[in-house]
Amino acid sequence: MDEIPPKANSPSASYNIMKEVMTYRKISAHEHVGISKWIPIEEQIDIADRLGIEKQVISFPIVTGSGKMGTPEEFRDCNNVVLKAMKQNPDRYLGSCFVNPVYGKESLEEIKRCMDQGMIGLKVYNQVKLNDPLFYPIIEKFIDLNMIILMHAVCGIGFGGHRTKYGNRQPEASIPEDFVDAAKRYPEAMFQYAHTGGGGDWEYACKAIQDFPNIYVDTSGSNNCGNMIDYALKYLGEERLFFGTDGSYYQGVGTILASNLNEAQKKKIFFENFNNILRKAGNHVN
Amino acid sequence: MLIDINANIGHWPFQQTNCNTCQALLERMNKFGVDISVVSNMNGIFYKDTQAANEELHNEIISDQRFRDRFIPFAIINPIYTGWQNDLEICSTKMGAKGIRLYPLYHDYKLSDPSCIELVRSARDRGMIVAFTLRMVDRRPRSWMDIDKEWSLEDLVPIIKEVPDAKYLVLNISRGTKLSIEETKLFKDTDIVFDTSGRNISNLGELINTYGKDMFAFGTHSPILDYLTGLLRIESLRDSEADEATKKLLRSGNAKRILGI
Repeated sequence: MDEIPPKANSPSASYNIMKEVMTYRKISAHEHVGISKWIPIEEQIDIADRLGIEKQVISFPIVTGSGKMGTPEEFRDCNNVVLKAMKQNPDRYLGSCFVNPVYGKESLEEIKRCMDQGMIGLKVYNQVKLNDPLFYPIIEKFIDLNMIILMHAVCGIGFGGHRTKYGNRQPEASIPEDFVDAAKRYPEAMFQYAHTGGGGDWEYACKAIQDFPNIYVDTSGSNNCGNMIDYALKYLGEERLFFGTDGSYYQGVGTILASNLNEAQKKKIFFENFNNILRKAGNHVN
Repeated sequence: MLIDINANIGHWPFQQTNCNTCQALLERMNKFGVDISVVSNMNGIFYKDTQAANEELHNEIISDQRFRDRFIPFAIINPIYTGWQNDLEICSTKMGAKGIRLYPLYHDYKLSDPSCIELVRSARDRGMIVAFTLRMVDRRPRSWMDIDKEWSLEDLVPIIKEVPDAKYLVLNISRGTKLSIEETKLFKDTDIVFDTSGRNISNLGELINTYGKDMFAFGTHSPILDYLTGLLRIESLRDSEADEATKKLLRSGNAKRILGI
């Protein structure tokens, strides 16, 4: 066998990634403020500016196991942080309200307080599964509001997952089948399956929810698998995918840019699909 | 010029991947303006005899002049499997391998294993680069048949201390970049290049300040990860973080230097 000389015939390709990045308007459908060790607001705005992200949908959820129980006082404090960020950056942030359905009456009161101050949706975490009856009045409220419910999702068959010998780190978090239960019971509600790139098995998730058109997904997360966007498109179609960041801004943009989606599909995922959700309640971006 | 120092062909046995042949990778390189890719065959992670994977890669590369021009092969060597010395010799002298990739977690040995140290020293003596991938996939959604460990930068400290005059690529940095002052000095004093594919390259401007502009180079970890995030981290740097000369180092200059091309 002959030695291969490492020649470099430049392809002179003229791909300009930043030009393409700035081609697309963007709404991140999944971002946070206030969480310990999270990216400070000033840095979030700076990264968003670099990547042409106009709006970020922010929330401040409490994680079970964080030492906080998600009491009404605690979730009000979280939402106040979001409201403050919204007021300080009205052109950049859209707020999502966080509540704990264990406290039903207080949750509904808090939803009203937050919506009255301009929030546009709900973000819920792992205190109660999405298909738990405790959630019913909240889901019904969001049907009335014509707003989407972003639910933290896990789909672990690997480390810390729900189908693994290594132990389930979030036993009360919602798995795809919980989303399906809720979507079946409330076909008129809108659910956002969180962060396909957030460490869950996105193949499993896409297949599990494919037949339920009121379950959308955001493609945020740090695990920017090469085939994730194309796979999600294959199973869910181009109308049910939202661009999101969840702290992983470069991955959020990079996965979509590198996918095989055409330009029109990228426009939908980066901006139009989520804006159409916002439009239902009159909260869309012009 | 743009050089990707972390590309793969071959199969990932637990998940279908796209663009995992030389032809498909070349098309992707052309689409996104990548001139050269440092490439290995992932099959070698799973074959007991990794040389079979190196031969597959070699045969694919020599099958087309375009591949010869655009790909730089790295061999996968398992130092606890018999015959690796001959394999290294063949990869170095007859297959054009500029470096080797080691997968201790998959091949079930420790970096302190005498065979591993001997392999790294042998690569050093041949002028070959030694590449460590800190993780192939995120362990959270991995297959139930896959390994459950990932490495941090600090896990490489023992081998770097053992063979400080070797040249290293550290790829897909995903579990922390913070080292002690002593460890940071060790890394900075060694000829090491980190690729930009890993999730912990979240603030490249800050990392350049910590480690220096000579220690980073564009990498994709393709086809496991998406093809553009590693590039986006470079091209979105502000002028105050990386001037054009520094970006040229990140795009190709640092890769050229360590590869000797």
